[in-house]
Amino acid sequence: MSKDIKISAKGVDVFYGDTHAIKNVDIEIENKAVTAFIGPSGCGKSTFLRCINRMNDTIDICRVTGDILLEGQDIYAKSVDPVQLRARVGMVFQKPNPFPKSIYDNVAYGPTIHGLAKSKAELDEIVEQSLRRAAIWDEVKDRLHQPGTGLSGGQQQRLCIGRAIATAPEVLLMDEPCSALDPIATAQVEELIDDLRQNYTVVIVTHSMQQAARVSQKTAFFHLGHVVEYGDTNKIFTNPEDSRTESYITGRIG
Amino acid sequence: MMDQEHIASAYDRDLDRVQSLIMRMGGMVETAISDAARALEMRDTELADQVRANDKLIDALEEQIASEVARVIAVRSPTAGDLRTVLSVLKISGNLERMGDYAKNLGKRTSVLSEMPAISGSGGALRRMTQLVNVMLKDALDAYIQRDVELAEDVRQRDADVDQMYNALFREFLTHMMEDPRNITACMHLHFIAKNVERMGDHVTSICEQVIYLVDGELPEDDRLKQDRTSYDISVSKV
Ligand SMILES: Nc1ncnc2c1ncn2[C@@H]1O[C@H](COP(=O)(O)OP(=O)(O)OP(=O)(O)O)[C@@H](O)[C@H]1O
Ligand SMILES: [Mg+2]
Repeated sequence: MSKDIKISAKGVDVFYGDTHAIKNVDIEIENKAVTAFIGPSGCGKSTFLRCINRMNDTIDICRVTGDILLEGQDIYAKSVDPVQLRARVGMVFQKPNPFPKSIYDNVAYGPTIHGLAKSKAELDEIVEQSLRRAAIWDEVKDRLHQPGTGLSGGQQQRLCIGRAIATAPEVLLMDEPCSALDPIATAQVEELIDDLRQNYTVVIVTHSMQQAARVSQKTAFFHLGHVVEYGDTNKIFTNPEDSRTESYITGRIG
Repeated sequence: MMDQEHIASAYDRDLDRVQSLIMRMGGMVETAISDAARALEMRDTELADQVRANDKLIDALEEQIASEVARVIAVRSPTAGDLRTVLSVLKISGNLERMGDYAKNLGKRTSVLSEMPAISGSGGALRRMTQLVNVMLKDALDAYIQRDVELAEDVRQRDADVDQMYNALFREFLTHMMEDPRNITACMHLHFIAKNVERMGDHVTSICEQVIYLVDGELPEDDRLKQDRTSYDISVSKV
């Protein structure tokens, strides 16, 4: 294996009761790279993303089979604590979900419980840096102690991004992080993603083909629960192998 | 290529439109080349002037294509096969524009040559060479619109014949010039014409490569032997 693989999924199936949402997916996600998941609504992108930090554990009817390895270690092994796992594998959800707490506490919560700050000053610094990188600092710096739920949709989304990066996870899973953002905030978040790639592994679900093409090095095309095509982003967007991929990215009826 | 239609039907219309502009431009260049060749052979300066004047229309069409392509890129952000389509349109319109320039150049030299004594034998050879290039252009445009890689490859191979005809003409002009220095001016002009026609063949080849890129997503490997050996001939003829 020439490339450094961070996450390796083998024969993964996911069921919600009788619904077979992910079908025998194999994928190897590169370390310190951005991987984009694209595909039509309902094809299983969010479902698969949630497998990577065991967020599906929280859904009663959801059943995951197959193997997902993080640096070679099975994340579904009994010995793995999902809470610890989620500190290593952070997530930004499709729908912004700030805690019902202040803006400051939303970001400070993770670093505090994982003991990442030795002092109040250090914690302040982490909060400011995280909010700056999430391109929202200027908008909230004067109202840090007001509730996060009082922000606009796009601001909440960026707050959640700030919260996710505050714990410096090794892997960041982002489910449509820019769906509620204006072009300026979108560009800032894309800049952040590019920056994160220096040290972290990022997996992003996006419905914007242009965004996938801009931010990622690898792209996986999901279709009806399968990974139909997975490869270099440049290749996928200029000359995909599978006609279903081509139909989807060029906006044709597939 | 994709036979399926876009969900946004205006996108299909945009792509069809830029491609039909290419076909129109190609038709104009074909006419320019055959008119230029005829004007040269018949010493028809009026027709030659017409070719020169018409080149402005070809240039204008190239500009129109470039701005339409820019609009498609801005509005649609084409990907995959669509992206290759707009890129090939841009490239091919550039090739056609250059070919139009060469035809115009033929027209200019025809005006000068018609004042001079004819050089025996060269007319027929130049006409055959120009005809060959024009058929290649027609086939290349057919290959483009049909997405016919086989035809494109065939045309590409035919460029070797053009190169050979050019080499033969080059030697013929040298001979004429050595025989009688009074032929030099006319032969120099005729040589430039032959060289221009040979360059037209290269542009047709480039169009064919775009067809292959469009369909396969990759440019062909350059397996064609370079047939222009006149640089060797010059050194040989010094002795
Ligand atoms: N909590 C759930 N309970 C039952 N079925 C679910 C649940 N979540 C997802 N599904 C089903 O699983 C399939 C995949 O859904 P998923 O949310 O992963 O799609 P997606 O690719 O993320 O779509 P979108 O682009 O719309 O977000 C769908 O058929 C969906 O109805
Ligand atoms: Mg989703």
